[in-house]
Amino acid sequence: MAILGTALNAVGLIFLTHAVYSSHEHTAAFAHTPLPLDITIELLVSIFVLSAGIVVSSPQLKPIQWAKWGGKIAREGQHGEGKWTREGEEILSEGDGFAFLGLDTGIGGNGEGRRGFWDVRSKRKEYAEWAKAGGK
Amino acid sequence: MVQANLLTPPSRIPPQTALQLSQKAPLILASAPTSSLPWPLSLLFSRETPETWAIHENLLLAALRTGDDASARQILDRLTTRFGADNERMIALKGLYEEALAKDDKELEKIFNDYEKVLKEDPTNMSVRKRRVAVLKSLGRTADAITALTVLVENSPTDAEAWAELSELYASTGALGQAIFCLEEVLLIMPNAWSAHAQVATLHYLSGSTSIPALTLALRHFARSVELNDSYLRGYYGLKLVSQKLLPLLSESSVSKRNADEDDVAPPKPQSVKKLEEIATAKLGEIIRQYSASKAGQSGYDEAEVIAARELLDRDGKVER
Repeated sequence: MAILGTALNAVGLIFLTHAVYSSHEHTAAFAHTPLPLDITIELLVSIFVLSAGIVVSSPQLKPIQWAKWGGKIAREGQHGEGKWTREGEEILSEGDGFAFLGLDTGIGGNGEGRRGFWDVRSKRKEYAEWAKAGGK
Repeated sequence: MVQANLLTPPSRIPPQTALQLSQKAPLILASAPTSSLPWPLSLLFSRETPETWAIHENLLLAALRTGDDASARQILDRLTTRFGADNERMIALKGLYEEALAKDDKELEKIFNDYEKVLKEDPTNMSVRKRRVAVLKSLGRTADAITALTVLVENSPTDAEAWAELSELYASTGALGQAIFCLEEVLLIMPNAWSAHAQVATLHYLSGSTSIPALTLALRHFARSVELNDSYLRGYYGLKLVSQKLLPLLSESSVSKRNADEDDVAPPKPQSVKKLEEIATAKLGEIIRQYSASKAGQSGYDEAEVIAARELLDRDGKVER
């Protein structure tokens, strides 16, 4: 779809430029005659092709229903979209907006939510025990 | 395999991922994000982006967790030179660093007293207030932590994070009624949070796994959580579990008893419970199939959760056979 969109955009732009140039040339040469039909047709067709190309090459629409949107996040998780920050970290797609409540892992869960109450000592202990046990 | 991303760290960080995260420290510390040029030029040649500091903060947490205290100190110094030592968030991060380095409870008490001093000067510093609760929790003084948190939510009743933490603390002491109340406050602030609905349902389920009103409430909240998220594994799992428990209870209690119920929670019709269970079974099967068909790391589901769902379905299959 990406190639089709780019192709349509390119063709549409070429025809649009040509039509605009032709009409300019025509009005410069014959100031008081109406525009020939072929230039008008070219103009309309190029605009149509260009609009189609823009629609085709636009990114996929996001679900507008809450349940579908939430379901999509739950099914697919976060994944990269080919953009990186300067530090080399990939910018991921939208994730669960309620993860900060830390309720996903249930009662007594060991999640990363509720950053304000992050218990550094227990996390440190967990890591130290893992490292002592061989780190596997 | 969880992706080790410093910009958006995963919601669960096992030690392996923590190690991967903190191993990125030398790379990030190698280049300074701020420019060393004098003022007007520094604006033009600065390399920092809004993401830079989120990455630094996450890296600080990862370094502290893995015991890489030297890197943590460097990151903290960087953040301090950028935002100043008086910044609310910086005071909390500095406290976090000290907490991590505290060797015993005595040193932790000292840090706690430092927090008290900060709060005396500026009682509106929410980050430090939260750290103070975290220290109390870490010291094992859960009752004190609950008291401190109730004061916090009284002063800032729209803080969903604090309400969720309070609910967790109550649940850990076994006070499920209070825990449910706190989560209902969370739902008032964010009524669309599917995880909060699932958590309330779990608490209702735990508070009375044989009483019809509690199970009805659990069923309702699980149903709402899957209404808000049509592929929510935990919601469907709970829906199936609760409806399995509820069905025999509903058929036992006759119509006459149902009218005399003391609670205002009307029990659902057995037919609709049965239908909900069928929906949950179908959806769980679909989720498990999707998970096993997807490539590793491509699915949003947690492996342990999928295995649990599969076990639930298998158990169900044996009963029917």
